[in-house]
Amino acid sequence: MTAADTATPKRTARTPRKARDRVRKVAFTRALNDALDLAMAKHDEMFVIGEDIAEMGGDFGVTKGLLAKYGPERVRDTPLSEAAIIGTCAGAAMVGMRPVAEIMFADFIAECYDQVVNNVAKLHYMFDGQFKAPLVIRTACGGGFGGGPHHSQSVEGWFLNVPGIVIVAPSNPIDAKGLLLASIDSDDPVLFLEHKALYRSRAEVPPEYYTTPLGAAAIAREGTDVTVVAAMRMVPMALDAAAKAADDGISVEVVDLRTIRPYDAATVLASASKTGRVVVANEAPRIGGLGAELSARISEECFSQLRGPVVRVDGLDTPIPFSVPLEDIVLPGTDDIAAAIATAAQY
Amino acid sequence: METSTLLGLYRDMWLIRAFEQGLEREFEKGNVPGMLHTGLGQEATQAALAWHLKATDTFFPDHRCHGINALAQQRHGGDGERVMAELFGKATGVCSGKGGSLHSADPAVGNFGDNAVEGSYMATVLGVALAAKMRGQPNVACAIIGDGTVGRGEFHESLNMAAIWDLPVLYACINNGYAISMPVGEGHASADIVDMVQGYGFSSQQVDGNDIVEAWTAVSSAVEHIRSGAGPYFLEFKTWRWQGIFAGEFRPEAEVKYWKEERDPIMLAGETLAGRGVAPNDLEAVEQEMTGLIEEWIAFALESPEPDPAKATADVYVGWEVDSR
Ligand SMILES: Cc1ncc(C[n+]2csc(CCOP(=O)(O)OP(=O)(O)O)c2C)c(N)n1
Ligand SMILES: [Mg+2]
Repeated sequence: MTAADTATPKRTARTPRKARDRVRKVAFTRALNDALDLAMAKHDEMFVIGEDIAEMGGDFGVTKGLLAKYGPERVRDTPLSEAAIIGTCAGAAMVGMRPVAEIMFADFIAECYDQVVNNVAKLHYMFDGQFKAPLVIRTACGGGFGGGPHHSQSVEGWFLNVPGIVIVAPSNPIDAKGLLLASIDSDDPVLFLEHKALYRSRAEVPPEYYTTPLGAAAIAREGTDVTVVAAMRMVPMALDAAAKAADDGISVEVVDLRTIRPYDAATVLASASKTGRVVVANEAPRIGGLGAELSARISEECFSQLRGPVVRVDGLDTPIPFSVPLEDIVLPGTDDIAAAIATAAQY
Repeated sequence: METSTLLGLYRDMWLIRAFEQGLEREFEKGNVPGMLHTGLGQEATQAALAWHLKATDTFFPDHRCHGINALAQQRHGGDGERVMAELFGKATGVCSGKGGSLHSADPAVGNFGDNAVEGSYMATVLGVALAAKMRGQPNVACAIIGDGTVGRGEFHESLNMAAIWDLPVLYACINNGYAISMPVGEGHASADIVDMVQGYGFSSQQVDGNDIVEAWTAVSSAVEHIRSGAGPYFLEFKTWRWQGIFAGEFRPEAEVKYWKEERDPIMLAGETLAGRGVAPNDLEAVEQEMTGLIEEWIAFALESPEPDPAKATADVYVGWEVDSR
């Protein structure tokens, strides 16, 4: 299932009432909440931990209701101690627990960067497989709402160079739930990125337990002329840009990475080889980011099938300003992706 | 303390000393890669801790803790020689040579591994302790850190969280007077770390880390306190390390002379034992036995094979393979 599959069926007067009631459009945040609830019921060794996540349910309400259901031992509020939050998860995971941490804003991960990079990501390797780190770090990332320099960043680039960490980045509520459940099941440590601009997006999310595989991209829209590789908020933007391009007779394929590390190179390279024209879109600054990695890999491995250079759409090489018009300049949008598609289509 | 216990601790301290002296020699010969930090002069603190920790407890050893790693192997049915082999980077090491001196772990004997980013496991220890508490296990989770590491933010985050959650953590701070070169009183608000700990509101105690009887007794009561569910305990061991800055010496000559000649923990324990009637020959025999044992471990390490090349890319992820060259 992908975002493209989840367009709401039109409610007409002829739709029987019961069928209409079964249509369950839920928000991204609610889908995540569902996943946490189902996972806590499944795994006795799971607990959730973070700042203001218990009674308050977290800054974005993702952990709402868990305290009442599972109690304060398993739904654990902490002081502002990001390193201790992740260290606690690491230590508990070393003895077989399955913790899920919430770092309120991804920007604050700088406070526990050492724990993630030098401890969590390396635990399995450096001690020769004697420990596992089955923990999930959920965090709210991304801009577009006037959050300013410390509440808006896309941090995947900070971790792309870190072997051992899995980076999961859903673009829609259905994947968000399935990927979170798969992340909690995983015996590898997962950095689970929740783009704030997607929190209110809605879709028909199956109420039952299901997982969406890690490390597998999805074709969010099929096309033949240009491939756009994207993740998180760039996916709905790419889908909008693809719809506009279709009006101009350009058929765009959108690859939703879903897992950023290790990413699904087979799907990306197959699509790039098929269309021969590629746009990679990500919200973070260009240098050393996801777009740089994808562009390099596609250029190396699909060189003879490419009809022109890979076109990159990224954030500008600046911090993120508070002013919304300035932020609009700095962050990439649908128009930037549309322009990149038009450029690639010329090749 | 019974004489037999003291003799056992004397033996343990000699094991540490022989280990570190043998290691120093092999390091100088170029047989040990990387960096060398030794626990020489601090044997009493490590012997006291090792004595009271069970295999079901957890300890996070610091960069001078080869000795406690080896003692844990001996006490809990492991192989001390595998601790030595790890330092040589060999396939027979506790981490197949992937960890080395600064990342040796063996959970079977309670050793949860050093972290060369000093003090980072001050946070990790919380999780191990929390899990024990949630599961109702009477386990102790111990973090061993130096005085310099008190400067880390995680030190304070850890003490605060252990306090609010009443976690079964034993903090063992080895105050040997210096970080690398920074004297403890210049680097911290107090040269007595326990003064800084008091605000967190749990039990703490400063002990003479070169007096094995005092150190052992303090660890004994701290561990008992924690096992009874009474929450965390902070022990500060005042001691002194024989190693200067890596191989060089930077401390005043009189200070070096005092600690090495008058405050050597093994010498002090030997004097106590002699005072209780243990024959000089018996003490001498302990030293010889331990030195002989360590030579066997070194020979084992030297003869062991290098790690399997497949280990270079093994265990990056549980769920994915990583390409080799
Ligand atoms: C976070 C961090 N900062 C700096 C270092 C470099 N370093 C290694 S040992 C050391 C001194 C540690 O002093 P202390 O904790 O007192 O231990 P000691 O060596 O005296 O036993 C330093 C600064 C490090 N490994 N990790
Ligand atoms: Mg020191």
